[in-house]
Amino acid sequence: MTLIAIEAASRPHSRSFMRRFAGAPLPWIMPVIIVIGIFYLYPVIDVFRLSFTNATLIGDNQDYTLASIANMLSSPQLPDILWATFVFVGGSVIGQQILGLAVAVVVVRGEKRGLFGTTILRTTALIAWVVPGIAGGIIWQMLFSEAPYGALNSILRLMHLPTVAWLSDPAIAPWSALISNIWRGTAFSMVVMYAALKAIDSSLYEAAEVDGATGSQQFFFITIPQLRAAILVNMILITIMTLNTFDAIITLTGGGPGRATEVISLYVFNIVFRNYDLSGGSVLSVLMLIISLGLAVVYASFLPKEDER
Amino acid sequence: MKRAFVSALALSTMLFSSPAAFAQELATKDRIGLTNAPKTLTVRLTNDSPNNPDPAIAQGYQKLFVDFIKKHPDWKLQMQFMSADIGTEQAKMLEQAKAGNAPDCAAVDSFVLSQFMVNHVLADFTPYFSKDEVADLFPFIRNGITDKDQAIRAWWWDTDLRVLYRNKSIVPDAPQTWDDLKKAGLASVKEGMEGILFNAARYEGSTFDWLANYWALGGKLVDDSGKPVFGEGENKEKFLKALTYYKDLVDSGAAPKRVTTIGNYDDLNAAAAAGTTALFIGGNWQLAQLKATLDPDEFANWTFSPIPGPTADQRSTGTGGWTIASFSKDKDKVEMCANLARDIYMGPGNALQQQLPTRKSLFDRYDVFATEANKTFAEALANGQARPGAPIYPEISNQIQIMMGDVLSGTKQPEEALNAAFKATMEAYKRL
Repeated sequence: MTLIAIEAASRPHSRSFMRRFAGAPLPWIMPVIIVIGIFYLYPVIDVFRLSFTNATLIGDNQDYTLASIANMLSSPQLPDILWATFVFVGGSVIGQQILGLAVAVVVVRGEKRGLFGTTILRTTALIAWVVPGIAGGIIWQMLFSEAPYGALNSILRLMHLPTVAWLSDPAIAPWSALISNIWRGTAFSMVVMYAALKAIDSSLYEAAEVDGATGSQQFFFITIPQLRAAILVNMILITIMTLNTFDAIITLTGGGPGRATEVISLYVFNIVFRNYDLSGGSVLSVLMLIISLGLAVVYASFLPKEDER
Repeated sequence: MKRAFVSALALSTMLFSSPAAFAQELATKDRIGLTNAPKTLTVRLTNDSPNNPDPAIAQGYQKLFVDFIKKHPDWKLQMQFMSADIGTEQAKMLEQAKAGNAPDCAAVDSFVLSQFMVNHVLADFTPYFSKDEVADLFPFIRNGITDKDQAIRAWWWDTDLRVLYRNKSIVPDAPQTWDDLKKAGLASVKEGMEGILFNAARYEGSTFDWLANYWALGGKLVDDSGKPVFGEGENKEKFLKALTYYKDLVDSGAAPKRVTTIGNYDDLNAAAAAGTTALFIGGNWQLAQLKATLDPDEFANWTFSPIPGPTADQRSTGTGGWTIASFSKDKDKVEMCANLARDIYMGPGNALQQQLPTRKSLFDRYDVFATEANKTFAEALANGQARPGAPIYPEISNQIQIMMGDVLSGTKQPEEALNAAFKATMEAYKRL
């Protein structure tokens, strides 16, 4: 049989195959479902499973029980951990959002006017984002160092101002951790805001100018409403990213002094890798997932509907 | 024929006339031995290996490994290296060992050895070390590597200890007691220094360095069954005494409050190099680091002495170190791993890195340990105490770190912090 003959013989069969599945999406998205199932869903399901056990890294036997959930959720440390997490995440979201928007506005305005330095500003902000969390933690540890040669305190001394216990005071350390995280995450918000600002129709501003609107009126009545979707999507993303951040904190403070900067992701790390408690870590991971999803749903409910756009 | 002769000549020249070229063949970044060697041993190591950041030490290890593999030409070593996050690395390796995926031969930190022992994942090294070698080990080392069936489960090849470093030009006499140290710290502050420095951040070293004070009082962290006892009875009193001592150092100004941010021995070296401190609690290995960092004149001012005790007679110091262990079920691989521990680490590795040996006789075998400083360190090992080989120890350490931060920063009073730490430890103990 020649090649042409083989093709001719198989053609009706393959046509019927194609026709059968042409309207059915499942065969086409099945590879994606399999990949996501193996690499994303399975670990999540296993974390759910482990949270209903008493599994540890040390013991061989694991029984199914609700005791781990009860123990972790009634842990006296949890309220303090959640409060530290709330301050860290809430502060980071607000700070990164405001600073990211501010830098993006400056860059867009600068580009419109052809000012020198806008590219440098954009690149500088992006460098902070590229720096790995652990390296960022080390950088800020050096800046916040309370040794006589610590960077920020040395500047304060030069200005004849009192020094600050950046990391050793439990009341100040969370704010220091927050500053370092805002520094790191501002670039991401800037990128999102920059793209959204570029997408705003310039005729809106032209019309506003014709109507005599001031710059601040244009910002609050055109820019902000036009950025609503981008702001909310950005909030969802940076909330989830910050909630999962622990690498920068572990390097900066290790969660201390005491538990002053121990956020929930670092607590999970400590529970699993210091205490070898797999089930406890899983319970808290599920809690983190619920918090993330809950906040995402709240943010998403404020997203403009299709007919509002 | 002529071409074959030339090729053979070139090959023989490369193999026999150029050891350096041969060594390069035998050692790559992740392999020691010939690529086509029939047997493979996977080896996972810390920076005590050709992966050391110090080029001289890295080259020294590479030579030791190449010499070793030349004695075992049928083998190649597939090298893996751990990150600096030791706690996480060891926890991951334990999980791998339980799943049967651990390397054949690996570095296990001495203070987590018990976690591996209770999981029965370590091969038996007993047949590969002579009774004399075992008898020559310091007692705390021998106890640390022996399981309840008296089998040797790892080879603990180096140890260390903590001492008080001081700048003689500012603190001429070695403080003997806790009171002496407080006075010396306050005197150094008057000289413009920032007082006594020590680790007190969220870091294993903070616990370990402080424990010397608790052990000097005779305190115990766990009982013989491994159950935490530090928050009960006499142990509680001793614990509070040792904790209050540290708090008093900070409250009085003999130590700066910033100790709660020190979680790295390098920070102590940095302060010494910057000339901002005259006293710090550090490890024996820091003497060589200070020598490398400071100007000779400045280094001449520095010396060390045992950590002061509550009285001059009550002394203790924490001793740690690394072991080599095998996770393999293949007897040939277990033997090869034991050989590696003996030939590379037990002696040559100690001398290369000037890390204290775990066998008394090795102090006399190497010139580097004949220095006055190393002799003093060796003598101080008599007061050495290792961390308890109990699975709950990492959580006890974690709770002590939290407690230290709370007490020294003034968030909690010592007894309140101790009660909270003990309660959390017992909750964790029940879950294990």
